[in-house]
Amino acid sequence: MSFIQVENVYKYFEDKCVSNNVSLEIPEGEIFGLLGPNGAGKTTLIRMLATITTPDKGKISLNNEPLSSNHSSIIGYMPEERGLYKKMTVVDQLLFFAELKGYTRTQAKQEVKFWMNKLDIVSWADKKMEELSKGMAQKIQFISTILHKPKFLILDEPFSGFDPVNADMVKDLIISLKNEGTTILFSTHRMDNIEELCDQLAIIHNGEKILDGKINAIRQQFFNHEYILEFTNNDMNNIETSDNQFDIIQTQINSFGRKEITFKLKENQSPQELYKQYSQSNAIIGFKEKMPTIHQIFVNQVTSKN
Amino acid sequence: MTFLAPILITAFYGGAIYFATKGAEDNTQKTIYLSSNNALVQKIDRKFNNFEFINEPNIPPGGTVVLDKMNDDIEKEKVNGWLIIADQDLSNLDSTELIVKEAFSVNQKNTINEFLKSQITKQLLQTKGISQSILDSAQVKGGISMVEENESGKMENSSSELKSGVGFIMAFIIYFFIFMYGSMVMRSAMEEKTNRIVEVIISSVKPFQLMFGKILGVALVGLTQFFAWILLSLLFVLGIGKYLSSGIQMPQNMPQGGMNNQQAIQSLVDQNDLIGHLQSLPYAQIIVVFLLFFLGGYLLYSSLFAAIGAAVNQETDVQQFMLPVSLPLIFGLIIAQSVVFQAPNGHLAKVFSMIPLTSPVVMAVRVPFGISWTEIFTSAAILYATFFIMVWISAKIYRIGILMYGKKPTWKDFAKWIRQS
Repeated sequence: MSFIQVENVYKYFEDKCVSNNVSLEIPEGEIFGLLGPNGAGKTTLIRMLATITTPDKGKISLNNEPLSSNHSSIIGYMPEERGLYKKMTVVDQLLFFAELKGYTRTQAKQEVKFWMNKLDIVSWADKKMEELSKGMAQKIQFISTILHKPKFLILDEPFSGFDPVNADMVKDLIISLKNEGTTILFSTHRMDNIEELCDQLAIIHNGEKILDGKINAIRQQFFNHEYILEFTNNDMNNIETSDNQFDIIQTQINSFGRKEITFKLKENQSPQELYKQYSQSNAIIGFKEKMPTIHQIFVNQVTSKN
Repeated sequence: MTFLAPILITAFYGGAIYFATKGAEDNTQKTIYLSSNNALVQKIDRKFNNFEFINEPNIPPGGTVVLDKMNDDIEKEKVNGWLIIADQDLSNLDSTELIVKEAFSVNQKNTINEFLKSQITKQLLQTKGISQSILDSAQVKGGISMVEENESGKMENSSSELKSGVGFIMAFIIYFFIFMYGSMVMRSAMEEKTNRIVEVIISSVKPFQLMFGKILGVALVGLTQFFAWILLSLLFVLGIGKYLSSGIQMPQNMPQGGMNNQQAIQSLVDQNDLIGHLQSLPYAQIIVVFLLFFLGGYLLYSSLFAAIGAAVNQETDVQQFMLPVSLPLIFGLIIAQSVVFQAPNGHLAKVFSMIPLTSPVVMAVRVPFGISWTEIFTSAAILYATFFIMVWISAKIYRIGILMYGKKPTWKDFAKWIRQS
């Protein structure tokens, strides 16, 4: 059963429909990627999921209950544009957010201590936010989002502003939260993150959901029966010129100086046959199917809808 | 800062008022030539305040032509002016001229004028056979004092000046702090919006709760400051009272220089009067009105300021919304100054103390003169009812405005947001 269920949700802004009949299901304990070009309506959808606004039509439920502000203590939300109180100290800031989510002072203090130790930032405790670097502030913001152990975590562009080391740290944290059972929705423009972290995704365009499903299933769905053969010797011109039954759609020299040829198979052709044909030449060093990347799928989907 | 701010503000205004009244005085000695053919003029005193008259027998022909000598003397700063009394009939000084190079101030001109008139009157009376001693015995001293029936039916001395003063100080404090704390609320709403913290917060609390919490929070800061301030003032007043009452038993301890014993005692009696007047003020009403209307006015205006803070994207956009919102309060202060001083219980004063946007200031200035409790509570009820309506409207603007980025909002947008939610 899905942890989050979005059913036929509409949201209007003035006369413009910014969420048009959107339905989504986010299974418990999974990471769900939300993709879409700028202005597609991601933030609108996220704000509804974060209980900041409510749908004009349709319904959203969390664990089979209609989503309401009562759920705010089990939701963690990190918006894309970030900021904290500049004049507050790190520790006061974290205590404030923990208490805002319903923690008592004592509980809040314990959690703050735990996270500061875990991320090795105890020495920052009494620093004011304005004294911190951008990356440090991002770290504090991330802690403030997960401090109250939310069951549902909404992260809008969680990696923006992080250097690679900190980005990896956040990535590890996200994975460990997932392993602990947290359901995570994350919105990003970085497709590599989606492929790496997400179990499922949905693409939103002009307020409508144009695609959703499990990542691998989607890639499979858009698989074009293309295979790549890699050869050690790039002098094998005869491959292209020789009369062969397989369609070649691309030939290139890769960064290792090896020739890569992309074949597109017809319906009655199998990859085994392709391999067999060229395996006689000992020059083969690699053979793989060419799965479309999420990036390609995203670009294709969005441009085809424009 | 909580305790220091009110003291700093008092010191600031006290200093400003002190310098405005004392610092601007010109205490330099002024020497003036006096020319007149009239024998009576020769008898008038030659020195008063900072002025000294020196006889100059060379009267310029026609009374208006400036002689080279005088020009020269003024140039060399030997004298500051030349007073030429050409009139023969001194009951009218229309032809009298004071020739100067650098204009005297209005005060200085008036001082000379009054001095001249009183001296000539004195001389004229003496020519009619009325001596100085008769004049002195005919001087009327003192002035009427106002006696007012207080709430318990007792008659008490009353001072309009003191009441106006106390009322105006209260009105000004209310005016000043409504703006100060109101803009604190506005800035806080704006900070949260531009920092985008607001999105995180309103995913946990409702926008209305956030706005109301902010308004209440700042109100509590304000009240804390006030109580600290009142406490300090009370200690101060008690200290002064103690000093004065110990002084009255020992008038011989008063400084003697320039003041004889009788004057010293008189001034102590005056001060005692002041304490009497102070004690006659309707304190219960003053405190109730101050708290009720300071709080009510602040709540009303800060809910407007909060909505503005939430709607704008940057500080520079604030101005166009602030001005129309602040105008009624500024208007209230002007009304307080003029109408209320002249007729604290007149129709105009009563009308403006019922209009919620002006009542906090107008009520404060009226209360020392004594107003009925019914009027106080009616006005307060209107004020608080308006606040509840306004906070409801502001919350709608706040709720939408706080998530709106980009274009600068207009009044039209505000109306749309109110209708929308």
